[in-house]
Amino acid sequence: MKAGPSRAAEALVAILTPPACREEVLGDLYERYRSPRQYGLEAMRTIPLVIISRIRRTADPQVLLMQAFVLYLSFLGAAWSIDRTLLQEQWGLMRLAIPAATTILGIVLEDAYAKPGRRSALKLVRRPVIGVGLALLSQGVLSTGNLNLALPRWIAPYGCAMSLLLSSAVRLLFPPVTDQLQGANAPALWLKQAGGSGDNRAVGVAFQWAATVVGAAIAGAWMADRLTLPKPRVIGSLLLLSIAFQLWKRG
Amino acid sequence: MASPDSLGQFEQLVLTAILSLHDDAYGVTIHSKVQELARPKEISLGAVYITLDRLEDKGLVASWLSDPTPERGGRAKRCYRLEALGERALQESAVTAKRIWDVIAEVWGKEWAREWGKRWGKEAR
Repeated sequence: MKAGPSRAAEALVAILTPPACREEVLGDLYERYRSPRQYGLEAMRTIPLVIISRIRRTADPQVLLMQAFVLYLSFLGAAWSIDRTLLQEQWGLMRLAIPAATTILGIVLEDAYAKPGRRSALKLVRRPVIGVGLALLSQGVLSTGNLNLALPRWIAPYGCAMSLLLSSAVRLLFPPVTDQLQGANAPALWLKQAGGSGDNRAVGVAFQWAATVVGAAIAGAWMADRLTLPKPRVIGSLLLLSIAFQLWKRG
Repeated sequence: MASPDSLGQFEQLVLTAILSLHDDAYGVTIHSKVQELARPKEISLGAVYITLDRLEDKGLVASWLSDPTPERGGRAKRCYRLEALGERALQESAVTAKRIWDVIAEVWGKEWAREWGKRWGKEAR
């Protein structure tokens, strides 16, 4: 009988490998098994690339950008309504980006590790819940380790609650490519490029425009503060630039 | 029919490996074949997986899970085959490679081309 890896090693590799490709990756590694050391090294070299490939397949950059935008806006809104002094601090806006980035990371990983073929609205909401849970956890870790990076007490929970609502709405409007019906057995890239149904595309375009306007306003306000220039002029110029860029991009 | 994007060198190697393996194209065999084609370069299994996924997303190859086998610890294989689009892309790449070879042979001389042809033949054996 051919020698194989230990059950513990195989179980560990199985946990780390995304379920969509677990079967073939475990089988291939088993077939190439020569020694425990070779198995471990090969698994360590292979699994990160398998995860990256899975993320590339499941993540839609446009939807991720939209989500990053609503997440940042949620924490910005929470800071605005609870403690505006944070926005004036040197790294205040950067600190707000930490929970937003952690949530995005949670959503991306949850998408990559989702079992393919199961479609439900609950699953779409579950991902932002996991992302937000990760953001709260990161805030907990930061508040015990580095108080300068953690958000003030009530901003993180309020921001998380708001981002949960907005992020779930984005997920319901733009379900991941792997969750969409693939009746025609079309390659994933074509589905991504098609951008879902016509209604979703229109909402997506509207969302992009809204994001451009709000993003330019926030960046303009921040730049005007830093450079002590008149706010309306800076915001107006940035708005014009971003609108011109969007128009140029659409030909 | 959608026109295939131009292929990268590694994508060409993977497509060639699938083409040559016929019905036995799956992760391990494709990796061995690509390793053979790309030598002396070391190729990782993960790099082959990433490329196979990308080729599948582009519609150049199709995949399916076979039955589990005991030599794989009761796990199934993911088998691959070339799609029409993949065959066309590979043909275009081969034609381009042939054109490059012709130009090089023309510039550097037929003697040089014959010499190199012999050397490659020996290495392939």
